[in-house]
Amino acid sequence: MAIVKLRPHLAGLLTGVALGAASFAVQAADTIKVGVLHSLSGTMAISETTLKDTVLMMVDEQNKKGGLLGKKLEAVVVDPASNWPLFAEKARELLAKDKVDVVFGCWTSVSRKSVLPVFEELNGLLFYPVQYEGEESSKNVFYTGAAPNQQAIPAVDYLMNDLEVERWVLAGTDYVYPRTTNKILEAYLKAKGVAADDIMINYTPFGHSDWQSIVSDIKKFGSAGKKTAVVSTINGDANVPFYKELANQQISAEDIPVVAFSVGEEELAGLDTGPLVGHLAAWNYFMSIDTPANEAAIANWHAFIKNDERTFNDPMEATVIGFNLWAKAVEKAKTTEVDKVSDAIIGLEVPNLTGGTAKMLANHHLTKPVFIGEIRDDGQLDVVWQTEGEVPGDAWSDFLDGSKDIEADWVTLKCGNYNTKTKKCSGQNY
Amino acid sequence: MHTPLLKTLLTERGSQVFLGVLIVTAILVPLLNLAVPADSALHVSTYTVTLLGKYLCYALLAIAVDLVWGYCGILSLGHTAFFALGGYAMGMYLMRQIGTRGVYGDPVLPDFMVFLNWSELPWYWHGFDMFWFAMLMVVLAPGALAYVFGWFAFRSRVTGVYLSIITQALTFALLLAFFRNEMGFGGNNGLTDFKDLLGFDLQADATRIGLFLATAFALGGGYVACRAIAASRAGRVIRAIRDAEGRARFIGYRVESYKLWLWTFSAVLAGIAGALYVPQVGIINPGEFAPINAIEIVIWVAVGGRGTLYGAVLGALVVNYAKTWFTGAFPEVWLYALGALFVLVTLFLPQGIVGLLARARKTA
Amino acid sequence: MTARLHRPPGRTVAHLMLWCWALLLASGLQVAAAQAPGDTHHAEQVAQLATAGFGEKERIVDALLEARHPQTRMLLAAFLDGRLASRKSDGKVFITEDADDGVALVDPVDASAAGTAKSSALRKIGTNNRLRKKLKGAIALFDLDDADAGVRLAAVDEMLRELDATTVSALRTRLGVEDSARVRRALEVGLALADLSSPDAEVRLAAVGTLEGELGTAVYNRLKTLERDEPDARVRDAALSGLRHIDQWRRFYGGVETLFFGLSLGSVLVLAAIGLAITFGVMGVINMAHGELMMIGAYTAYVMQLLLPQHTTLAVLLAVPAAFLVSGLVGVGIERGIVRFLYGRPLETLLATFGLSLILQQAVRSIFSPLNRSVATPEFMSGSWQINEVFSLTWNRLYIVIFALLVFALLQLVLNKTSLGLKVRAVSQNREMARALGVRSARVDAMTFGLGAGVAGVAGVALSQLTNVGPNLGQSYIVDSFMVVVFGGVGNLWGTLIGGMSLGVVNKLLEPWSGAVMAKILVLVFLILFIQRRPRGLFPHKGRAAEGH
Repeated sequence: MAIVKLRPHLAGLLTGVALGAASFAVQAADTIKVGVLHSLSGTMAISETTLKDTVLMMVDEQNKKGGLLGKKLEAVVVDPASNWPLFAEKARELLAKDKVDVVFGCWTSVSRKSVLPVFEELNGLLFYPVQYEGEESSKNVFYTGAAPNQQAIPAVDYLMNDLEVERWVLAGTDYVYPRTTNKILEAYLKAKGVAADDIMINYTPFGHSDWQSIVSDIKKFGSAGKKTAVVSTINGDANVPFYKELANQQISAEDIPVVAFSVGEEELAGLDTGPLVGHLAAWNYFMSIDTPANEAAIANWHAFIKNDERTFNDPMEATVIGFNLWAKAVEKAKTTEVDKVSDAIIGLEVPNLTGGTAKMLANHHLTKPVFIGEIRDDGQLDVVWQTEGEVPGDAWSDFLDGSKDIEADWVTLKCGNYNTKTKKCSGQNY
Repeated sequence: MHTPLLKTLLTERGSQVFLGVLIVTAILVPLLNLAVPADSALHVSTYTVTLLGKYLCYALLAIAVDLVWGYCGILSLGHTAFFALGGYAMGMYLMRQIGTRGVYGDPVLPDFMVFLNWSELPWYWHGFDMFWFAMLMVVLAPGALAYVFGWFAFRSRVTGVYLSIITQALTFALLLAFFRNEMGFGGNNGLTDFKDLLGFDLQADATRIGLFLATAFALGGGYVACRAIAASRAGRVIRAIRDAEGRARFIGYRVESYKLWLWTFSAVLAGIAGALYVPQVGIINPGEFAPINAIEIVIWVAVGGRGTLYGAVLGALVVNYAKTWFTGAFPEVWLYALGALFVLVTLFLPQGIVGLLARARKTA
Repeated sequence: MTARLHRPPGRTVAHLMLWCWALLLASGLQVAAAQAPGDTHHAEQVAQLATAGFGEKERIVDALLEARHPQTRMLLAAFLDGRLASRKSDGKVFITEDADDGVALVDPVDASAAGTAKSSALRKIGTNNRLRKKLKGAIALFDLDDADAGVRLAAVDEMLRELDATTVSALRTRLGVEDSARVRRALEVGLALADLSSPDAEVRLAAVGTLEGELGTAVYNRLKTLERDEPDARVRDAALSGLRHIDQWRRFYGGVETLFFGLSLGSVLVLAAIGLAITFGVMGVINMAHGELMMIGAYTAYVMQLLLPQHTTLAVLLAVPAAFLVSGLVGVGIERGIVRFLYGRPLETLLATFGLSLILQQAVRSIFSPLNRSVATPEFMSGSWQINEVFSLTWNRLYIVIFALLVFALLQLVLNKTSLGLKVRAVSQNREMARALGVRSARVDAMTFGLGAGVAGVAGVALSQLTNVGPNLGQSYIVDSFMVVVFGGVGNLWGTLIGGMSLGVVNKLLEPWSGAVMAKILVLVFLILFIQRRPRGLFPHKGRAAEGH
């Protein structure tokens, strides 16, 4: 009958899906597999593609040095396509199907939140290279970007002390990173005696493109006779129209400087920087910093990507540091086993590209120098201020009510979420 | 009612194959996952089970869209709204189940509320700690929205592209609204970090299998229900409306109420699909409302073959499997392949894959 | 400290400076200045810039200002523009100018040419915000005596930002010799602002009187403090009435500004939607790749700029026809390759073109990388048109409003006055009849689709001036475009224009009250409700699209 003829098609497809996926799981382990979980399509591809290339470059370099533990490294690249459930699915694919030893990935907070349960369930290892809102410390994640105390607070200190700013606009995209950062900053500013009237908070949706009214409001807010600055946590795509509008409404950096936490060399490369000269950015790395290590890293990058025009930015440095720390920990532990590597990595130090060292702390965050840079007309940033030495990353902010009692310590407390008041460790998934 | 339905189900080849395969899969996959040792070649990994569960949710969603599009000519570009609402209802239940296990250890407030300094639970979060209430909401929230929306739209005789575009506006407005942190649904991060469902650990293999079976059951049930509607007298009227709405109205049928009930039922199906989807993927976020996703659902249906229901299922499976495979195998170029697939199917397979299979059978 | 020790008697220097200045103006910058007594001091200060920190640089600027060497203005201007560099080999400081073979060096002491160097052999002497502000103020002091009244006015405005003893005395001196009425007024305002701090109540009262009719923020803020702190009731009342006057105008212009913002947002919506109004409205084709056609237009502007790196204005102007052609040709390709097989199945064109939009996006990612590209804003479109102290319009927005209206007018012309337009309308109203009358409908379809696509490309050029040029550009406008077309009424260009403009204005009117996101949500809800009332949009139209589906 015809049914019999048809059935193989359909049944074959369904079981093919099932068995095809299953059979991949059996593979030889003569290489060390490095998973790369960055979006290569969709809205986040703009930022994340570069990080994928950075990991590939590091894998390439490590292999030229002979690999690790006598084995070659092999990168496994997948595309979670800026889709958050897909991030979780791809994380599971990397860990369960491809059996990778470590994953470098994620950019947005929501993507990290989406994969977190998967990494904890399957005991994977994730290096997360982007500055973020803190309020997290997972056993399976190492945060190599900045926590709020390594970016936002020093930047505000600089504005307050060096530029004598008295009035503040906290402008951000409406999601968790700007919300947290602004909450921390608001608490911090009020503690420093800034009146509520002198703080304006504004949130806009992702990809907001019509900034006329908001910039006009900022201009009015800033013309009240007190020195005003904008602290911008505006994300990605919305920055270009924002800065264009600033320039066109002739808000210059001397009048109302904008200090951004999400605008770096790469974002500036997509902008006509002429009118932006003097606006600020706070990061833990700038491409313009003149050190031999930085020069070498940039040269490597240019050689790898075969384009001398490409920029190097903070999350890339965080990826490089994360990779180097992991490689060092693997050599120290003499295995790629997640638990042993996690134990071995704490306390390890690798040099920053800008001088000093990055040390992995017991709370899975790094020590980092903080730089404030002014935008130059060529899209690079000139360091105008920097912290003395490195600032240790704080997973739980001291300025927020809910989190100031919480500590993360994976050495003595063995907990990422320890409440010092109730003496309890909560929110752990194992 | 029963006799024609049973007859249809038993005689229609597509239905036979679909239900057959569904039952076989529902029996085999749990067996191969739980009973076969992990190192065996026949073992189905938990990863695959979850993946299949997700596909089945999509398939149910595709059936919901096919029911209104294929049978009644209402092209919805807003079914993601119902899917996501169902998902959020389930997500809210799962959030409340976390209890004191959240990072801040608050017994009532979910983490993101503690974090935004909310002092008490907003009124619309009450009741979601009870499973039955949440399940009621899974059905009611999308159902009520669809009913109200449809009541206005169909009564005003908004049809064709106008209807499609305002369904798109609907889901887009909800997308923007849910992105707002003030709404109390977790903003862009959405709801995540779920722990357990009805006391079962969501990370346990057995729970996953249970969810998978529940999804398979819902899909089968949804399919049979849609078939029943299509085979009934009402189903014939609905097809008449699709083919000539004016004529159906002049004959004396109350076109609006037929459309409205079908539309609401379809939205409820989409909501159930969303509710089953969330615990399996572990996150619900406003991104699920994206209009672009709604277009994708329509494409699944078109790829499979509209107006057949099993075609919608097939389309959802094929496109999503292709997506999973392409994003893993050719991360750099997969959009070319996916795009080309859509173009080629619409150009050369107007009846979708089902049509192709039917043609192949005829010539064979 | 050294500055004070070496300081020659001020008057001599001032004379000398004037003399040198006249000489320079007369004979151009290349003439070497006479060996002035300040040269050594000037040279010493300049040399220190090479290694100084920002704090030291400020002190050096002060010292230079005090010494008033003939080349000081040139030096400070170069410093402000970032054209001051030290040679890596010997640490000597030069003013740099772009030249064909690297960088031309100018001696900062005698303004003579000092050869050329490679830019890699130089280290730029950086500035920061504080320093730039100081430099601007310092240059304004020089510009106060410029021959051009516009330059003088700008200098006064610059000095009004921060008044101190030096600037006030400079303003007073200038007022004595100033002959331009506008500059005089600006000087008077500046001096009146300074007078408000006078201990004499009469002087303050007179100053408030002088400030009457001024709308500027400096005046407003000063009056505000006066209203609060002034002991004398008469002065306080005068300040209060001044404030009321300003507030009134501010409110008025605030309203005008909001309206303009709305029109400008509306014109972006119209530009984005109008191409769609043709393909969707006139032809009944749901083109999901419409956004990507805009993206292609924006990338065309980027490519034009790469081809003409030195001529930003020309590049943007040429990009308009180029984008029309490129997107138009792609559009014709889409019509011939895909859409023509799908006529009569409008919903399926949606699917095919959606697939196509994915392909086009990924193609752009492969060719141009997923990163955003920068399209420079031409000179004439940057900045704003300062109509008065409280009201200005940004040029780019203004031009885009005009541009949108122009595109609309041209399209109307094409559709109503050309034979192509006639055929398009004929085919859209009744395809069979048009064919029966000898219209080659296939050709007309291709041309119409090409026209719609070309207009989308032109819109893309406009968008490149406002937002990101990247692979996601199209996606962010496609939903809005559909809304506008449907709101206006499918198949009606006037509907699109009025629909787009009114949605823009409504959005902007709501925004201050509800915030940007809520405004957008409310507009969408309004749209959904509106369609219930008028299921065929603002201006219903009979045509191919209106029938059937």
